[in-house]
Amino acid sequence: MSASPHSFPKLPRGPDVLGELLHSLSQPLTSLRCSLELSLEEVAEQQQESVSVALQQTEKVIGMIQLMREYLEAEQPGPEAFSSALAPTMRSVIEELSSIAAVRGVRLCLVGTCTATVPVPESRLRLALQYLIASMIEAQAVGGKVMLLLGEGPAGAVLRVEGERSSREPGLRDQEPSASSPPTKRDPTGATLTLRRVRLLIASRVLETAGASLVFGDGDGDPNGFVLRIPRRVGALVE
Amino acid sequence: MRILIVEDDAALSRFLRKGLEAEHHAVDVANEGNRGRAMAMEFDYDLVVLDLNLPGVDGLSVLKSLRQRKANLPVMILTARSRVEDRVQCLDSGADDYLVKPFSYLELSARARALLRRSHLPSESVLTVRDLCLDRVERKVERAGRPIELTTKEFALLEYLMRNAGRRLTRAMIIEHVWNLTFDSTTNVVDVYINYLRRKVDDGFSPSLIHTVRGVGYQMRPEGASA
Repeated sequence: MSASPHSFPKLPRGPDVLGELLHSLSQPLTSLRCSLELSLEEVAEQQQESVSVALQQTEKVIGMIQLMREYLEAEQPGPEAFSSALAPTMRSVIEELSSIAAVRGVRLCLVGTCTATVPVPESRLRLALQYLIASMIEAQAVGGKVMLLLGEGPAGAVLRVEGERSSREPGLRDQEPSASSPPTKRDPTGATLTLRRVRLLIASRVLETAGASLVFGDGDGDPNGFVLRIPRRVGALVE
Repeated sequence: MRILIVEDDAALSRFLRKGLEAEHHAVDVANEGNRGRAMAMEFDYDLVVLDLNLPGVDGLSVLKSLRQRKANLPVMILTARSRVEDRVQCLDSGADDYLVKPFSYLELSARARALLRRSHLPSESVLTVRDLCLDRVERKVERAGRPIELTTKEFALLEYLMRNAGRRLTRAMIIEHVWNLTFDSTTNVVDVYINYLRRKVDDGFSPSLIHTVRGVGYQMRPEGASA
């Protein structure tokens, strides 16, 4: 009996295989997560810590699955019907991250604006910008500053981001929070750095797939700056 | 409230049923699409929790059938598909909410309450937990009649805690809802802001309302009991 190449015409290939596996994995993980959450209410105090640890580890696995999904999606062009304005999304992301920056004693300063749009759904653009800016915040020392310069010219829109690492003591929290409390920071572990690099890769793929270019500054995998260019032909400027 | 779960994974539907029954809902389960559609058509449910990937008739077809006959019945979709296009398709087909697996039970429970509240009661503009009041419209907070000044983020965090009073909220849930982030920011921003809130909301008042749930996160306890 000879095998025919057409015997299994519907077998998934390449990234689709990974997508299907992640899809299948999410089902038992949902049961596991829900089970552990509900068990926390029921178990005796002596077992609570074990259940808590199991739940935290499950959430970490789920976080990695989420990253794998985002990576797969970033590798594919977004649906054509979507387009997102860069400047307002940027401002919104900075607002979201400003309190996290403040807790770390880092300032975010956005200067300028632009009218460019990026042909991706707003949630994907937001995710890419969150990953990029969060990475910049994490790369700064206490008292550091992240400068974000947004502008546009004949060739298109440009976002230049530079970190000004500083080691001076905090005292820069000029927005929120109002209460005094020492800024805190968890030192990144090897796994954390790996995840940060994966997030940067995802951000990069989301933007490049949409036709933009992203060039990182110094640091290998832990950059302290980047330049995002959105060509006019890609980011149809709003008149 | 009466809730129908249409989910073919027996373990998952068992846990969802257990959790929702513990919240005093009457829960029915259907493990395939045809059965789920028939039950949703025949009985009066306050909410349908509907998996998309079902044996027999798929969830999207069930949803479309339901919308023809029961336009106002709240439907929450469960799915492993996370792409924007999938979400848009579901919402365009009439879903009221959309939860991506692997979700947290606490997340499902919170969203179910929101949908049930939306369909039965007008949205509350003032939230109250014991002597703590938060006015969402006036953006004012007071405890025992004493005004409390909060920053924007502190206000959002307190509102989230009060809206979920009595429930354990993980740090991941808090950071997703209050900070709109789905990843670990490698800061203890939640703990820092809880600390700020405690100073303003609990210090000098009795009982303390904001409690740490070891290994999980935080909880606002209306009864003020110790952890």
